[in-house]
Amino acid sequence: MTAPSLVDHFFRHEYGRLVAMLACRIGVEHTEDVEDAVQSAMMSALEHWTISGLPDNPSAWLFRAAQNNLMGELRQRTRRRRILQEQAADDVGTGDGPDVFLAGELQDELLRMLFVCCDDAIPPESQLVFALKTLCGFDVREIAIRLFASEANVYKRLGRARSRLRELRPKMDGLSQEQLSLRLPAVHKVLYLLFTEGYLSSSAEMALRRELCDEAIRLTNLLAEHPAGQSPETCALLSLMHLHVARMSARQDGTGGLLLLEEQDRDLWNQNGIQEGLKWLAKSAEGDSFSRYHAEAGIAAEHCLAPCFAETRWDKVAECYELLEQRVTSPIHRLNRAVAVAEWKGATEGLAILDGFEPPTWLAGSYLWSAVLADLHRRCGNSTEAERCREVALDSAPTPQVKELLQRRLET
Amino acid sequence: MAKKKYLCIQRSQQANESGNPSPAQMEQMFAKFNAWKEKFAANIVDMGGKLGSGQVVTPEGATDGPFVEAKEIVGGFMIVEAESIEEAVEVARESPGVAMPGSSVEVREITTP
Repeated sequence: MTAPSLVDHFFRHEYGRLVAMLACRIGVEHTEDVEDAVQSAMMSALEHWTISGLPDNPSAWLFRAAQNNLMGELRQRTRRRRILQEQAADDVGTGDGPDVFLAGELQDELLRMLFVCCDDAIPPESQLVFALKTLCGFDVREIAIRLFASEANVYKRLGRARSRLRELRPKMDGLSQEQLSLRLPAVHKVLYLLFTEGYLSSSAEMALRRELCDEAIRLTNLLAEHPAGQSPETCALLSLMHLHVARMSARQDGTGGLLLLEEQDRDLWNQNGIQEGLKWLAKSAEGDSFSRYHAEAGIAAEHCLAPCFAETRWDKVAECYELLEQRVTSPIHRLNRAVAVAEWKGATEGLAILDGFEPPTWLAGSYLWSAVLADLHRRCGNSTEAERCREVALDSAPTPQVKELLQRRLET
Repeated sequence: MAKKKYLCIQRSQQANESGNPSPAQMEQMFAKFNAWKEKFAANIVDMGGKLGSGQVVTPEGATDGPFVEAKEIVGGFMIVEAESIEEAVEVARESPGVAMPGSSVEVREITTP
């Protein structure tokens, strides 16, 4: 008899669903107790299931075990008597789990938890860590590795989120439709942050980064399928995630070195992912709003649709960057626009975009800024300036892979 | 030549220093365990189980136990069938019972008259 298999990441995703469900029932300020209860339910599942096989409904089994753990724990605490009285109506049955045990219901609660933890009172980097811990089922060490932060730092961020939630004691079912839509931008932000942590970090293993992107897509998908989250911005966000992830594996060569867009083998791009991204992009255009996510998805779509680097519609890319800049002023967007304009109208025009532009210190000192300048000056024939910028860029490369890429790109 | 039966006694350190495994680690443990179970399906006679707390009976009577000695505790047992002690050890060596640092599996032949 072969063991029945569980869906991928069953434990991790089930963890998030159970924590959200139970926290919704007893209050998000008790998240830590809930997490302990779910953790030990999973440990007993591991012992039981490995010996006597999987139960018919593993999710319901876990829920019951976690709920019993939690109630047992709370019963032992007299100062929590009040909660118990409120909960007394909820009979902890031994049936097949509660009637609400529908996938939809669970996902509602996962989303509700996401909305709750995206409170203005909690700093975004704490929101991110809290979401990774409670909704995605990563532990502190795993989060630290993925975010390239120290465990102490992750603990600190987590603690901040928890203590704020304890103070706020948000009503889990108290978010009205209006509050939900007011909070939607913050939810988008944390999902975007989660995604870019995975996509842009050049420090962690590809596989680990990919996991963060997958989690971001999973949660954004839930959001897009739910009435509270259906907005053009959600669709655009999901679109840009798909369009980036579809090309992720082509960004590295066999040895983990980075590849430039023009060097990438476009046959490696995942066409299904691109189709999915374009589907959501079309859906995102059904409203009358245009957000930063629309602009970014638009840029990614242009790259995905170009048959080769030379045939990229640089005018469209430059236009999207301009729209993006109007929505989010960031020197990085301006720099990218200069690159697109240089491809479209020539290097001189590209340089003109950066004329008289004083980059902030963090950008001026980064390899990106110097590398773009070096490239544009070289193409304009200003060899002295090009050489100077090239030196700076190579000196400030953060990793050997980036340095190697720059050497290749900025050959004189 | 009839196969022999062996009792596997699983011991582990009392407390896990490194804390609890994360859900992601549990996923791996579960997958590993099932793979092992399939690989040695022919050898495993009785998956046995986890041993709870109990009592120790001596000529003087019964006392609460089990007695923890040398910071190790017998946590579970299992019965496997094999041609030889070597083969039984092979089954135990790949078992999840020895996955954690400080854990061990003792393999003893069950001799029946």
